[in-house]
Amino acid sequence: MRGLGALAGAALLAAAAAASFAPPSAAAGGAAPTLEQYRYYRALSLDLKGRLPTREELAEMESPGFDLDAWIERHLDGPGYVERLTRLYMDVLRLELGPVGLFAPLETTLRRAEVLGPDGERLYVYFRYNQRRLLPLIDGDFCFSEAESGLRGSFAGFTGTPKPISQRLLDERTTVVRPFWLYRDYLSVVPTQRYGAGWKDPDSAYVPLPQLLVEPDGKTPTVEVRVCKEEAQTAEVGRIYASGIPPLPKGAPLPPGRARPPVPEDRYAREHRGEPISCRSALAFAMSVDCGCGIGLEHCLPGDNSGRDPRAFALPAHVPLGIEAPIGAAPHTASGWNRFWWSQEAIHLMQHVFRADRDFREILTGRYTFINGPLAQFYRSSAPAACCGLHRSYGMREDEAPLFLPGAVPPVVAPHDVSDWTFIPDRGPRAAGIVTTPVFLTKYASRRARAAALYSAFLCKSFMAEHAELPPSDEPDLMVRPGCSSCHATLEPLAAYFTRVEETTWTYLPASRFPIENPVCKLNAEGKTGQACQRFYDPDFSSRERGVLRGAYASPAHAERGPAGVAADLTRMPEFASCAVERVTESFLGRPLRDEDGALLRALRERFVSRGYRMRPLVEAIVRAPAYARASNVRPALERGGAAGRGGAERGGGAR
Amino acid sequence: MRGRVRAFALAGMAAVAGACAPPEAVAPRPAAPLRETGRVAQSRSPKQDLRLIPAEAYLRTYLRLFGGLSPAEVERRARGDDRSALFDTWEDYLTALGLPDHGLDLPRGAQTNALMMAAFERLGIALCDRALEHDLKASAPVPVERRLIFAFDLPAQDLDAAAFAPRFDVLHRTFLSYPARLAPPDREARFFALYEGTVARHRAKGAPKSRFSPGEAGWAAVCYGLVRHPEFHLY
Repeated sequence: MRGLGALAGAALLAAAAAASFAPPSAAAGGAAPTLEQYRYYRALSLDLKGRLPTREELAEMESPGFDLDAWIERHLDGPGYVERLTRLYMDVLRLELGPVGLFAPLETTLRRAEVLGPDGERLYVYFRYNQRRLLPLIDGDFCFSEAESGLRGSFAGFTGTPKPISQRLLDERTTVVRPFWLYRDYLSVVPTQRYGAGWKDPDSAYVPLPQLLVEPDGKTPTVEVRVCKEEAQTAEVGRIYASGIPPLPKGAPLPPGRARPPVPEDRYAREHRGEPISCRSALAFAMSVDCGCGIGLEHCLPGDNSGRDPRAFALPAHVPLGIEAPIGAAPHTASGWNRFWWSQEAIHLMQHVFRADRDFREILTGRYTFINGPLAQFYRSSAPAACCGLHRSYGMREDEAPLFLPGAVPPVVAPHDVSDWTFIPDRGPRAAGIVTTPVFLTKYASRRARAAALYSAFLCKSFMAEHAELPPSDEPDLMVRPGCSSCHATLEPLAAYFTRVEETTWTYLPASRFPIENPVCKLNAEGKTGQACQRFYDPDFSSRERGVLRGAYASPAHAERGPAGVAADLTRMPEFASCAVERVTESFLGRPLRDEDGALLRALRERFVSRGYRMRPLVEAIVRAPAYARASNVRPALERGGAAGRGGAERGGGAR
Repeated sequence: MRGRVRAFALAGMAAVAGACAPPEAVAPRPAAPLRETGRVAQSRSPKQDLRLIPAEAYLRTYLRLFGGLSPAEVERRARGDDRSALFDTWEDYLTALGLPDHGLDLPRGAQTNALMMAAFERLGIALCDRALEHDLKASAPVPVERRLIFAFDLPAQDLDAAAFAPRFDVLHRTFLSYPARLAPPDREARFFALYEGTVARHRAKGAPKSRFSPGEAGWAAVCYGLVRHPEFHLY
């Protein structure tokens, strides 16, 4: 068993090696390994391979020519090592989203209603709520009025007594489509490769729910879906539409046949009526009757009902060993579908940093990422839908400077390419590692939460309240308010980096639309601002001359630097490297760090930094350090029958 | 009427007095000492302990011991079709094994607890029983090199300590990753006693009916002991 004693960087780690326990050394002259050597090998196998060694691997380790150095080097390149480090940082950042967050935009979610056809047969019709339509009767609503279908739709479901819809009306208002979720070749003129029949090699992780595959009778396979005509449109460019219908006076009865008031007319639409508009913009859904879900409905996610968050696909219930080894399966809603893939994006990004032994700072600063089919569909179609509401008051009608440029998504990635991950070398100038991923920005939804998460995860610091007097105060500046300042003096400037990333979402507020100081949002005589200003500008820090963008008061400079700025600044701080070294060392030693680890940590930090912030040399040095070997042998006296032990006997079977 | 005027006046004075008073502040105070409610003996056991194997590593090892199968396939085989209820579903065990749920911000279980030990026990017994069925009870004999856990021949006659030792070593290496000769000196003897006792109980007149022969039951018991051994779960 050669090489156990050949600790790399022996001089570097000499101070640490001087500890009382000698690391497992090479067995002299082919002698059988010692218990410490077995335990060391077992620990290495757990940490670098992700499982216990097999009998065959133990036999290999016992063989005379076994080279442990080479073994370590080989496994520092393997999936177990990558998974180990990814797990460490996923445990720290917890980049998964629970069931609470809802993300099923009206613009990109096709809901489903069940109506009666001409002969009384049940039919599914896919539609979008708020879809603009030329016919005032159904503008912004389902494509059949209550009088026509007998049904009244809402997120709570369709109610009423359905009545047959005539064939003429059905043909006039709907069309049939071979959608992407059923057809591999949905882009072709006549798709033929249907899921489960003709689609020979469906991705095993792409599983549409059974209810999407059959007609309402529960057995007839669905080969085409019926969709409201406006939703089925495929144009890339539409025209801005304004109905010219005046708003309904307060208290006035609804127009005959309508279940809801007419769609409020947008001033911008009136002023720009007839102008071309990109159907991929968030604006198009609300201001055009020409924009639909695209060819094969590829820009929308289907749902199995008309509710707020309908279900469409099955996903693994648990993926502790990665998505390649799923445990269980469960139907997911449109929100769940998005949330799952957002999390997988962060995991893939981290795995790339560790697998390719990239500069660890890129976990925060890298502009690259990985996407699969669902993420491509999300970034192309759904992500822009998170914008824009009150933004329109500032002239911002779509996410003008997205953190992930939709143009960076290669067009060849199909929505059902679930297991194929594509490297995106550059998401755009505002992208910054995991910091600008949807999962980070929704998990940590507020500016302060985002700042605190980074502060804790990458600087190993936390905000602890000081033992201070708490006098009543109406001081809005938490950086100076007694009792608050000890934390907020640090937190607020850090949170300011996220001023331009809207809370709870990823919409970027560009300086051209949202200057940090905005005279339009100045306080009025009563010290207030309008609704549109209040959402983005903080009255507490505004004056009679100008409003101040929320979050920017602590550091306008940080606000301008944005997420990429926080990534660059954090990674430049000396604590960044120390924190990474401490986290990884503590994880591999399996115990809190102690004073006696000081020399080891200093040596490891120097190695980590001098090797360009690469994790592989760091982990290599850790697993070769005596402290690591010692961690698996902390109770030799007890187990070997020492004086403090139990007379050499063990207590069989019981767990400690 | 006069009374109401007086009341208003008093209320007004109180309000003015309140407004003029210094602002109420919460001053820091040292915490009061805790009242003693009882005494317990101080544990003198070592506080620095071995590490719990990460749940992911446990799962991966388990799948490997089952022959390198997928989680779904392991669940199918562990459940079997004999209504023995040896194994429920993975979902029933995952949280108990200490896996975190980042979506719900549930942290990783880094220390054992009663539920975790129960899950280890249940999973361990399912592994040993199914492996024994695969290795030793298959209709066509399985070559030693293709056996999952019991990678040794099992003679028809009872084993003595000398014959037990090399076979025990196979299991010891499988679960604890080192030869039995390096274990505490009485370990082998204690496991042999467990084996012998189990064989004797299964052979005794009136013993409950078992799907395992006395010898098989003896080895299953040894397997149960090792798969639940603290050294298997710690490192």
